Amino acid sequence: MSTADIELVGVRKVYRKERIEIPVIEGLDLRVAAGEFVALMGPSGSGKSTLLHLIGGLDVPTDGMVRVGEARLERMSERQLTAWRSRHVGFIFQMYHLVPVLTAAENVELPLLLFHMSARERRRRVATALEIVGLADRTDHRPNQLSGGQEQRVAIARAIVTDPDLILADEPTGDLDANTSREILGLLNLLNSEFGKTIVMVTHDPKAASHAGRILHLEKGVLEREQWNHRTAVEAPGAAWAMRGPGLG
Amino acid sequence: MLYLMYLYRNLVRNRLRTALTCAAVGLPITIYVLSMAVVDGVNRFLDNSARQLRLAVTHKTSIVNPLPAGHRAKIESLDRTGRRLVSVCGLRWIGGKIERDPRPLSTIAADKDTFHTTFPEFRLTPEEIAAWHRDRQAIVVGSATAAQFGWKVGDRITIHPSVPPFVPFEFHIISTAPNAEDPISNWFRMDYLEEKLREVRAPEGLVSFFFVKCASSEDLNHFRTAIDDLFAHSTDETKTQDEKSFMNEFITQQFDLPRNLTILAAVTVFVAVMAATNTMSMSFRDRINEVAILRSMGFGRWLVFGQIQAESMLLCLVGGLLGALGPYVAFTYTPLKDFTVPLIQYLEVRPAVCVNAVMISAAIGVLAALWPSFLAWRLRVVTALRNLE
Repeated sequence: MSTADIELVGVRKVYRKERIEIPVIEGLDLRVAAGEFVALMGPSGSGKSTLLHLIGGLDVPTDGMVRVGEARLERMSERQLTAWRSRHVGFIFQMYHLVPVLTAAENVELPLLLFHMSARERRRRVATALEIVGLADRTDHRPNQLSGGQEQRVAIARAIVTDPDLILADEPTGDLDANTSREILGLLNLLNSEFGKTIVMVTHDPKAASHAGRILHLEKGVLEREQWNHRTAVEAPGAAWAMRGPGLG
Repeated sequence: MLYLMYLYRNLVRNRLRTALTCAAVGLPITIYVLSMAVVDGVNRFLDNSARQLRLAVTHKTSIVNPLPAGHRAKIESLDRTGRRLVSVCGLRWIGGKIERDPRPLSTIAADKDTFHTTFPEFRLTPEEIAAWHRDRQAIVVGSATAAQFGWKVGDRITIHPSVPPFVPFEFHIISTAPNAEDPISNWFRMDYLEEKLREVRAPEGLVSFFFVKCASSEDLNHFRTAIDDLFAHSTDETKTQDEKSFMNEFITQQFDLPRNLTILAAVTVFVAVMAATNTMSMSFRDRINEVAILRSMGFGRWLVFGQIQAESMLLCLVGGLLGALGPYVAFTYTPLKDFTVPLIQYLEVRPAVCVNAVMISAAIGVLAALWPSFLAWRLRVVTALRNLE
């Protein structure tokens, strides 16, 4: 089991478009405990996805510090960030984005190509990941032979197959019906509670957010408020630390 | 293994596009291979000419201006020892066709007495030489021409010349010259041509050019200038050059085949690059989301750059292999291997040309993928992801 805490101090993110500066995140401080499940909510353009990208090392802050576990992301080169992502982060996207020409098992195996690992070990890990998401019997199916929920499960298996510390989910249920959404969120809860993964999830859906231990509301790049879901939070490993700690800075 | 599988499946993702791109690369490669086979043939022909220790004597003004047949005796008089000039042969080309057959022939009149000594590479037997001297309508036909028209020794054939006197010539085939290096041209006696010219009152006593067989390369160099000096300031000045230079100039003046074919090959390869670039660009645009996801997973810039390059190279290699192997197999193992072309005779597709062609197709793949792989390399994952959602 691997896990990581997250700390952001004074983070600013400004996009430049034809000499015009567009601030997206303004002086944000945030701590997420290792093993915590946090939901990011807020209207469109509030900076949720940008925050997710900063935590995931897909983007770097204009100012401020982003630390995930031992890694200071703002100090890392793009090459270092790429290598770091492959070992420490699993991404889940709204539209799944599976490779359509590969089977479920091959899609899950894809991130393992970045590791020096025997084919047998890769197959073992893929089988375990697909079993966790309940798709052990769909290994040879291509994405177009799977339902939306099953595709998202494959995407989750792909995100966890490298055993990352951190899972970042951007609207993981945005394209799913209510029942399937519940299944996917249950799966995320399982990854958080049973496997101790730190999860940060962007969502518009309050029901989806209610599965998280803590809900952070962003407004115009600033953390407006936070909301604790004690039932879920207390069950989650690391939640006690998060609840004791400063959390929202 | 998964990488190779991924490459392969990406290639067959859009089968029609892949097939069309393979064809767009393969056909120019076929054109390249055939062009190089022709260029090889020309070079082979010129190299054969260089080995013959022969000089070609033409009119100084132009190859189309005839020379007086009387020049032959004057040229022969240059060798007082009788050992340095093997023989001098006057030649006159009449082209020709047979009735109701559009296929052109290369038919040449040669001096009766010096033909076989000036052109020993025909390797005529003593019986064939005797028949040549005995029969004024004798003709030696090229082995490939004989095979094409179904001619054999003893047949009587009629050839209609492409130039004056434009009257049919009746010939008796005395040899199909199976050992000759030139399997196409047909050779007959100059005195028979003169007789026909007399019948229609056309000008006689003219030849298109002389071929002068020398005993050694030193003699070749000596007579090259001696002949032109002999006719300097006369009404019919000559231009003497070795056979290779003459043939090269002849080919260049007529159609500059090697240069034009090389240009054609280069243009078709360029077209293949454009077609493959178009395919790879479309393929990248279709899969920009996949590239963004791969990058987010931790696949580096150079890895996705390499992946697109590898896909492009694989696609172009398949097209190039088919494009090169097609003519190689056709001109090596099928009846097409007997196909002949004027001057260069047989088309020989050399394995080395095929290897070059395959390397060129790999280079096409690399060039074609440069732009899309650069786009993938510089892709900002965040921007791409934002566009996806």
